[in-house]
Amino acid sequence: MENKGGRRLNVDTQPSYQLEMFENKGHISISHSHLEMGKLDGQFEHEFEDECCVGPSSLIRNNSSPEIENHNESFSNAGEKCSISYMKYRAFRSLNIILFSAKINLLMPCGPAAIVVKCLTGQHGWVFLLSLLGVVPLAERLGFVTEQLAFFTGPTVGGLLNATFGNATELIISIYALKKGMIRVVQQSLLGSILSNMLLVLGCAFFCGGIVYNKKDQVFNKAAVTVNSGLLLMAVMGLLFPAVLHFTHTEIHLGKSELALSRFSSCVMLVAYTSYIIFQLRGQNRSYDGDTEHGESQKDEDEEVQISKGEAIFWLAIVTIWISVLSEYLVDAIEGASKAWNMPIAFISVILLPIVGNAAEHASAIMFAMKDKLDISLGVAIGSSTQISMFGIPFCVVIGWIMERHMDLNFQLFETAALFITVLVVAFMLQDGTSNYFKGVMLILSYIIVAASFYVHVDPTSEENSHRN
Amino acid sequence: MESVEKMDIELNEQGLDGSPVCVKKMHLFEHIGPLAASAQSYGPKRTHSRVLMSIYIVIFKARINVLVPFGPLAVVLHYLTGKHGWVFFFSLVGIVPLAERLGYATEQLAYYTGPTIGGLLNATFGNATEMIISIYALKNGMIRVVQQSLLGSILSNMLLVLGCAFLSGGIVHSNKDQVFNKAAAVVNSGLLLMAVMGLMFPAVLHFTHSEVQYGKSEVALSRFSSCVMLVAYASYLFFQLKGRHNLYSPIDEEENQNDDVDSDEEDAPEITLWESIAWLAVLTAWVSILSGYLVDAIEGASEAMSMPVAFISVILLPIVGNAAEHASAIMFAMKDKLDITLGVAIGSSTQISMFLIPFCVVIGWIMGKEMDLNFQLFETASLFITVLVVAFMLQEGTANYFKGMMLILCYLIVAASFFEHIDPTVNDN
Repeated sequence: MENKGGRRLNVDTQPSYQLEMFENKGHISISHSHLEMGKLDGQFEHEFEDECCVGPSSLIRNNSSPEIENHNESFSNAGEKCSISYMKYRAFRSLNIILFSAKINLLMPCGPAAIVVKCLTGQHGWVFLLSLLGVVPLAERLGFVTEQLAFFTGPTVGGLLNATFGNATELIISIYALKKGMIRVVQQSLLGSILSNMLLVLGCAFFCGGIVYNKKDQVFNKAAVTVNSGLLLMAVMGLLFPAVLHFTHTEIHLGKSELALSRFSSCVMLVAYTSYIIFQLRGQNRSYDGDTEHGESQKDEDEEVQISKGEAIFWLAIVTIWISVLSEYLVDAIEGASKAWNMPIAFISVILLPIVGNAAEHASAIMFAMKDKLDISLGVAIGSSTQISMFGIPFCVVIGWIMERHMDLNFQLFETAALFITVLVVAFMLQDGTSNYFKGVMLILSYIIVAASFYVHVDPTSEENSHRN
Repeated sequence: MESVEKMDIELNEQGLDGSPVCVKKMHLFEHIGPLAASAQSYGPKRTHSRVLMSIYIVIFKARINVLVPFGPLAVVLHYLTGKHGWVFFFSLVGIVPLAERLGYATEQLAYYTGPTIGGLLNATFGNATEMIISIYALKNGMIRVVQQSLLGSILSNMLLVLGCAFLSGGIVHSNKDQVFNKAAAVVNSGLLLMAVMGLMFPAVLHFTHSEVQYGKSEVALSRFSSCVMLVAYASYLFFQLKGRHNLYSPIDEEENQNDDVDSDEEDAPEITLWESIAWLAVLTAWVSILSGYLVDAIEGASEAMSMPVAFISVILLPIVGNAAEHASAIMFAMKDKLDITLGVAIGSSTQISMFLIPFCVVIGWIMGKEMDLNFQLFETASLFITVLVVAFMLQEGTANYFKGMMLILCYLIVAASFFEHIDPTVNDN
């Protein structure tokens, strides 16, 4: 049984077997209780110590250690190598790591609570709020599991994984909304995700970093940022043309040409995204490749592999399923929540939904900024925006095509103008390569203004629809 | 000659910072030397001579003040004849020297108050003329005039002032490209772009017909955005004045440059603290009076001169308000100090977009006028395009007369388009 991350607690009297098992050196940090286990010959102990690796700090952080120690002792006292109990132990341990080690998981109960509330009462407002809060820790765990899996698969596939699952939450929410036919919600939530990444996440990162380092301006790699924002701008331009065509009333068949153009553009954008991924993964040694957080984060905290490959895949599936379940409740409750809270659906889609989807990236960007690693923050923010504009949105159009929904790239005029202006201005502002808390303040205030304008924004199409109905 | 020397000593004793007075200054004081000499000996007459001297310094020394008589003339014309065209023209010309002297008095005051408050003063009074004109127009309910004149001020700063500065600087230094500090220019223009973006959202919301309550949401959003922009401006001032010795603040740069290099011009404060405060008050009062007549005469002048009110608000009014900055920007460009020029031009635009426009919205809110950020579609588009293009063009870090020429020609095109521009809302009414 080869297992890279395995911890062997069963003290066996067959040293050779144990030697085999420890062939593959993992990067697991081992608690001190293991050294107390008796019946170890010197060699065995030695090997244990050799494997004791980076970051006892992670284990200190891991508040599950007392429980593991208890189970260690119980298993070691049993003194027999039983595969079932071993599995149980492994399962329990990985459950611990996934569920209990992150403080954000305090929000986990909100998920089941949302389902309960939905079944018991019809209060859409509460269902929405609770499922919103419930998705947040799941999104974070999804990111964690993806990172862990990426350790096993090597940088190439790992980058691909990060790229795909990075925005999995938003994609899942969008697909559910598409299934329900809420096309505007899809468009607005994806657009809001880009806006939130460019303004709110960047602004908070600059602000927090600037406050921590207020003696000087923080510097970041101008070249990488310029390349990435140029890409983003081109992606946004590709997204805008169907909308511009529609609003200048210059289509051949009003409404239909624009849909066909959207679908064609989406395929083109997906091809562009594929080549972007190939380019990134091939040229990982390029100096300006700033947004592979993968490479940079090796130096950081959660760099050790904490769960095994099989476990990672398993948890990926579980968390994704759980997010899907919650998203369904979330999307079902949007309209009811909008009436209950008396705010436009546009505001909920553009501002509230993306905050949820981006929460994990938000937190990590702020953390990296406070450690003066602005390149990673920028990589996260701009990379996420680029992924959404080059992959997320066209993918949803194609899925809508398959599902035969009328999903197109015709974001209404206000959203289109807002997106274009924002991306242009932020791309321009990032060009000088420095940051300070004031720029962060400006970005956050701009986001507040954008949010306020969406608060008083009503879709002209929804008004027409309601008149027609 | 003795009296002149005594005059010299008296100057030095009057709290100047001891730097040698230029020969030019001595020369100018020759003819009141006897008066000053006698004043030295007689106590009560000393104040009298001080007042006279300060009047001399403030009013008679600057050549631009030949235009001062136009002010009273305008008032006279207003009462004698009803010719709005002439009243408008004369008050326009009359405000120009007052605006310049206002800037001078502010600078003088800044010497006494230290760099922090000095920067704050410059920031507030830098656009005092436009602020006063706008408040009068608001009181008269001429909301479009206010919006257009503030917008025109930004356009004029970015295109005309910069263009003239680059052109004159380029002609004077025609054998090379002038260089300026790219980093500061990029940072400042990025800031301006973000401020303009913040200003644009209410207009974009209105024009995509996507407000919850047509017309009303947009005013509410404008007021909210204005408060947010004022908070942004406060943090901008806080950030600039916190003593960061870097390239951000054009104000500090200007004063440093003046202290280090210039020994011929306003190197030393020329009037005392109280005199500068007094003159500040007097000039502000005088500017207010003239602005009253100016604003009253706009509509009549528009008919008399048969040009649209839009053209008058966007092109003519800002030229007046910016005249002093215009002159100083050109002067600094010709001395190859383009950083100061850029600081003046972009800094003034940023101040207007981050402070003055939101401030006018809030004042309108208090006055109960419906002033909002909904510059009409044409103005909004031209503002955004201009700021974007100029910000982009400044990224290179060099200037020559051709760039100046292009900027001026762009301004001519913008002016021409406003000459042919009628407000759609005016037609609706």
